[in-house]
Amino acid sequence: MGDSRKPNSLKGETLRTIDLRGVTDFSRRDFLRTAGVGSAGLITFGGWLVKSVSAQERPAYSLIVVDFNKCTGCRTCEAVCSQANEKVKLDGEELLGLGNPRFSNVRVYSFNPPVEIPNRCVMCGDAPCIEACPVPPDPVTGRKALYRDEKTLAIKNDPERCVACGSCAEVCLDKRVGAIILDPVTSKPGGICNLCEGDPACVKYCPFEALTHVSGGLDGRHYALPPEKVAQELISLWYYHQK
Amino acid sequence: MGNPIPGYHGVLLEVDLSKGKVNQLPVSPEDASKFVGGRGLGIKILWDRLKKPGIDALSPENPLMFLPGPLSGFPIPSVSRTCIVTKSALTSPVKSRYRSASTISYSNVGGFFGPEIKFAGYDGIIVTGKATSPAYLYIDDDKVEVRDARRFWGMRTNDFDIAFTEELGDRKFETCYIGPAGENLVRYAAILHTSARAAGRGGVGCVMGSKNLKAIAVKGTKMPEVAEHKRFVDLLEEVRSSFKDWPGTDRWRRYGTAGAIIDRSDRGIQSVKNFREGTFSEAHKIGGIAAEQNIWVRDLACYCCPLACKKVGVVRGGPYAGVYHDGPEYETGTMMGANLLIGDLSGLMKEIAELDDYGLDQISTGNVIGFLMEAYEKGYIDRKFLDGIDLKWGDVEATLALIEKITHREGLGDLASRGVKALASEIGRDSHEFAIHCKGQELAAHNVHANPPRAFCYATSNRGACHLSGDSLGHLNLLGAITGQTWDFPSYINTGERIFNLEKCFNYREGFRRRDDALPDRFFEEPLTLGPAKGAALKRDEFEKTLDNYYSERGWDPKTTRPSKEKLTSLGLDFAWKEIRRL
Ligand code: SF4
Ligand code: SF4
Ligand code: SF4
Ligand code: SF4
Repeated sequence: MGDSRKPNSLKGETLRTIDLRGVTDFSRRDFLRTAGVGSAGLITFGGWLVKSVSAQERPAYSLIVVDFNKCTGCRTCEAVCSQANEKVKLDGEELLGLGNPRFSNVRVYSFNPPVEIPNRCVMCGDAPCIEACPVPPDPVTGRKALYRDEKTLAIKNDPERCVACGSCAEVCLDKRVGAIILDPVTSKPGGICNLCEGDPACVKYCPFEALTHVSGGLDGRHYALPPEKVAQELISLWYYHQK
Repeated sequence: MGNPIPGYHGVLLEVDLSKGKVNQLPVSPEDASKFVGGRGLGIKILWDRLKKPGIDALSPENPLMFLPGPLSGFPIPSVSRTCIVTKSALTSPVKSRYRSASTISYSNVGGFFGPEIKFAGYDGIIVTGKATSPAYLYIDDDKVEVRDARRFWGMRTNDFDIAFTEELGDRKFETCYIGPAGENLVRYAAILHTSARAAGRGGVGCVMGSKNLKAIAVKGTKMPEVAEHKRFVDLLEEVRSSFKDWPGTDRWRRYGTAGAIIDRSDRGIQSVKNFREGTFSEAHKIGGIAAEQNIWVRDLACYCCPLACKKVGVVRGGPYAGVYHDGPEYETGTMMGANLLIGDLSGLMKEIAELDDYGLDQISTGNVIGFLMEAYEKGYIDRKFLDGIDLKWGDVEATLALIEKITHREGLGDLASRGVKALASEIGRDSHEFAIHCKGQELAAHNVHANPPRAFCYATSNRGACHLSGDSLGHLNLLGAITGQTWDFPSYINTGERIFNLEKCFNYREGFRRRDDALPDRFFEEPLTLGPAKGAALKRDEFEKTLDNYYSERGWDPKTTRPSKEKLTSLGLDFAWKEIRRL
C-alpha cells in the first residue's frame, strides 16, 4: 500500500465519520476554529479534554500540534524530520541525514483550494493501533509488536516481533489520521512520530513557527481528525465565499 | 546504472510519446559539470538533439525537458525551481532562411515538481514525440507509464487539478499540466503546477499541447548522494540561519512580489498602458497593501523555502465574489492590471484566475490585450475586428471576453493567439511601434523608458524578452559540497558564460542576428508623460553604443553578434563553432 491515502472529493460523501461523542462543549466547527487560530487555543482545548481520561494513571502525553493559519506547506518539517531520524554514520560520526521526505514521520498533504495539512501521529490516548496488533504482549516487557514507548509515550514498532499484518496502519487510517506508513519492502509499520525523543526537529526548524510540542493529557480520540476532514473544515472557514 | 556524479542520479528519463517508449539515459559527467543547472543541461541537450536549424517547435522532434538543478530536492531554502527547456513556440527572427526558426525557450516554475522528479530518481524528464491521443505521464519511481487522458482533454486547470488527484488516488504525487490554451496551441500557453504556479514564458505549454500531453504526475522515494556529507549538513544549517537573519525575509513574507507594484510605479518603471507609461495612478488599489486588506487569506511556500511569497486570496464581494486564487503578484498584477489600466482588485483577481485556469501566460496575454486596447483606441482596428468586444482601457469584462477567444482561438482569438508581433504585422501601419516584444516574445512587467539596464537585458536575452535572465544558481558552497567540485564566483561566472554562449549559438544558427536584439520604437520615441520619470526615453545612439561594447566584451562580432572562435574555444564550445563558422 505504501504511502497512499485515498483522496476524497471534498464534497462530503467519501469522508470518514469521526466519533465526536463526548465532545459536548464544542461543536466541531468551534474545535477547528480554535485549531485554525492558534496553538494556544488548542492547548486549552487539550486540557479540557483530559477530564475524560484518567490522567493520574499515566505520565503526561505530548504531541506536535499544528497552527494551520501559519503553515505554508513548505515541507521543511518533512525534510528535517527525515534528517533527524534517518541519520548517517560516517567515519564513526553520526551525522544528520540528507532529508529525503520518504523517511519522515510527518507528511504534508495539499488540498485544492490551498490548504496544507502536516499529518503525524497524534498520540491517541486509547491507541487503537496497539489495540489492533495481533501479536501478544511480551511476558516481560508487556509490549506487543506495536507498543508505547515508556519514556515519551510515542508509538513504536518492534520489527523483530512484527508479523507485518498491517492491521495497525489500517485501523489508524480508518479511525484516526492515517499516520502509519507500511514499508514498501517489509510491509512493517513506520513513519510514526517519535517526538525526536523529546527534542522535536520539526518544531525547531519550521520556518513559520506553525508547530508546537504540546504536553498535557490530550485524548487523541478527539484530536485525531484525518487530513481530509480538517482540510474540508478549513476550506469552508477560509474560502467561505466559494460557490 | 552506476552513478559517478554526486548530486545527480546520473539518469534522465526519456519518454517518446510517438512510440510509447520509455528510456533511461545516462547523464554525461562532463555535461553535468560543464553545464551545471537545469538551464545549462537543457541547452546542451537541445543542441545535441536539434542538429538542424529551423525545426518546427511544434514538431514531435522538439524535446520538452523538465530539469531540476543539482540543488533541487535537497532541503535547501529557495532552490526549488525547475527549468523547463525546449525550442520556443513563440519567438521568431526578423528574417531567416527557415520558416520555423525560433530561439531556445526556458521557463521556470517553483513549488514541488522539480524536487519530486529528483525523488523519483531522475535528474530530469525529456519528452519527445507526439501521442496519438491525449495522454498523461505517470511516474512512480521506476514505474513509468503513458496513460490515457482523453477524458481530461478540454478541462480547465483547476478542475483538472482536483480530478487528477482523484485519478491518481494519492495526494503525494506532484503534477504539472496544461489547460485548454495549451491544448489549442496558443503560442504563449503555460504549464501549470498546483493550479497556480506557472511556467509561463516561451510557449512551453504550447509545445506540451503539440505532444498531446495533458499532464505529468511524479512521485518517488529516492535521493542522490552528496560528495561531502558533513560539509553539506553544516552549510545547510548556515544557510537556514542566514535566512532567519536576512532583513528582507519579513518583507517578502508579508507582501511577496506584490510589494513591488507600488514601488515600481512610484519609480516610473512599471509597465502601464501597454508600456506607454511607467506610473499607474491606481497602483495602490492593486498593490500588496490593498490585497492584504481585502483579498489574501494565507501564504504559501515552495519546497523548503522560508519566504512564502505566494499569497492566496479570495474575492469577498461584488460580481466576482468567491473567486479564489494566488495573487496578484508583481508580474500578474502589473500585466493584467496596470498595463491595461485596471485598478479593480476583484476584477484583477478574476482575470488572473481565468488565465491560470485556461493555462495562458499572464505576461504575454497582458501584452496582447494592451496592444489591442491601444490599437482600438487609436482607430487602427474597429469593434468588428474585435468580434464585437468593446475593448476599452480598464474594462475587465471585455478583457475576460477576449481571454476566452484567445484560449479557444475563435475569431480574432486565432490571430491574437500568436502574440503581438503577429498582430502588428496583420494590423499594419505603424502598429509595430507599440507591439511590445523582442524576438517575438512579449516583454515582462518592467517598463524601460527610464531603466536602460533592463532595456538592455530585454534586448540581449536569449529567449526573447524576459525578466529573469540574471537568475543565479546561488548557494555556491552548497553546490560544492554536493558535487565535490570547487565552486567559486569565477568558476560560476565561467559556467554561466558557457551556457549563455551555447544558447547564443543555437539562436545564431536559427538566423538571429544583431537586428533581432531590438526593442520597440516606443521606448525611444515616446517619452513618458507622467510620474517621477516624466520625459524619460531611451536614447538610440547610447543604446546602440552599449550594444557595441557589450558584444565586443562578450567576444562576439558587433555586426552580426556571432560569437568568435576564440571565445567559444576558451569556453570548450568548439563543437558549436564548427556549426556557426560559415553562417
Ligand atoms: S515546516 Fe511548518 S510551515 Fe512548513 S509545512 Fe511543516 S508545519 Fe507547515
Ligand atoms: S494517530 Fe494512529 S498511530 Fe498514532 S496513536 Fe493514533 S492510531 Fe496510533
Ligand atoms: S503490522 Fe506489525 S505492528 Fe502493525 S499490527 Fe501487524 S504485527 Fe502489529
Ligand atoms: S517530533 Fe520529531 S519525529 Fe515527530 S514529526 Fe517532528 S521531527 Fe518528526
